[in-house]
Amino acid sequence: MADIELFNALQLDAIREVGNIGTGNAATALSGLLSRMIQMDVPKVELVSIYELGEHYGDPMQIVGAVFVRSTGGFGCSLIFIQNEDDADLMVELLLKQQFGTYIPVNEIPEEMKDSALSEVGNIVLSSFLNAINLLVGTHHQISVPGVAHDMLSSILDVVASIYGQMGETALLVNTELRVEGLDAGRKISGHIILIPDPDALELLLTRLKVM
Amino acid sequence: MAESTIVLGMADLMVVPAPVKLVTLGLGSCIGLVVFDSFAKVAGMAHIMLPDSRGLKGSEKVGKFADTAVPALIEEMLKKGATRPRIKAKIAGGAQMFSLPGSSAEFLTVGAKNVKETKLKLAKMGIALVASDTGGNKGRTIEFSTSNWLLKVKTLGKGISEI
Repeated sequence: MADIELFNALQLDAIREVGNIGTGNAATALSGLLSRMIQMDVPKVELVSIYELGEHYGDPMQIVGAVFVRSTGGFGCSLIFIQNEDDADLMVELLLKQQFGTYIPVNEIPEEMKDSALSEVGNIVLSSFLNAINLLVGTHHQISVPGVAHDMLSSILDVVASIYGQMGETALLVNTELRVEGLDAGRKISGHIILIPDPDALELLLTRLKVM
Repeated sequence: MAESTIVLGMADLMVVPAPVKLVTLGLGSCIGLVVFDSFAKVAGMAHIMLPDSRGLKGSEKVGKFADTAVPALIEEMLKKGATRPRIKAKIAGGAQMFSLPGSSAEFLTVGAKNVKETKLKLAKMGIALVASDTGGNKGRTIEFSTSNWLLKVKTLGKGISEI
């Protein structure tokens, strides 16, 4: 298996480009779902110590809403769509308003409906991301049913540690942000997509991209 | 003497004399293992991430794995004046943060494996496990105080319990 700490700049660039293409497709899909403009960042490829994951993405104790999917097949990976809990609430309000035409404040939406809406958003964002990658790399995949959790950021990110901790002490992650802007009162909704490639899938990816 | 507070990060392991408060924030599938000897007035904690270290390079932190953390923690306790029959243990954590119906990804159930391996290691070393709050699908923040030798467990949406 490739040693992720020895990847050269060209290889990291190739992984970033994969993230870029995934993010573009995810932004387009989210824009279609919400009928809104979506802003996206250029993704970052990050080598993060598994001991510092919690701090790396902000306050480890902040409450976040997270949607998680697993992709198996050619390019095995896990993906998390992660939002600050307030942003996740706004996202749910926005989606339900878009689909039913009436505004319902989030505290009047039943928990199950909130989770189901959040899971829908996460599923569309993450599967669009994956579809673009697989098209680029020329692999086929199966995507799992999404799992939803609301909890402390640090607890959620234990899942990354449990994937990369088996191999060593560093995780390779592709991190990008999508933002919904132009909402009432200058509010915006932000969400992070974190791609966690299976360590043994990276070699395949780089081989297909002809940089290994 | 005032009680000082020590916060342990991922894979940290330490043993300190009382009075002290040992804290670990946001445990998901990880385990917070507490050991103490109330007679010798010494306590230790480890933030365990994975069940076993087999097949991994030996240069890593001992606190990372259940199979290496438990013996290291006990050895450190003995060095600081504890005696083995008096050492008691408490554990919290080992949640499964995400359930994906139909997915067989092994890493999703690492929490349960962490609990199992930690309990097994404690039993093998003859250490009494006197309290535990493990499993479920919620993260936990824990605080162990030598003022009452109780482990405070905070869980989102479930409040605080002392074990």
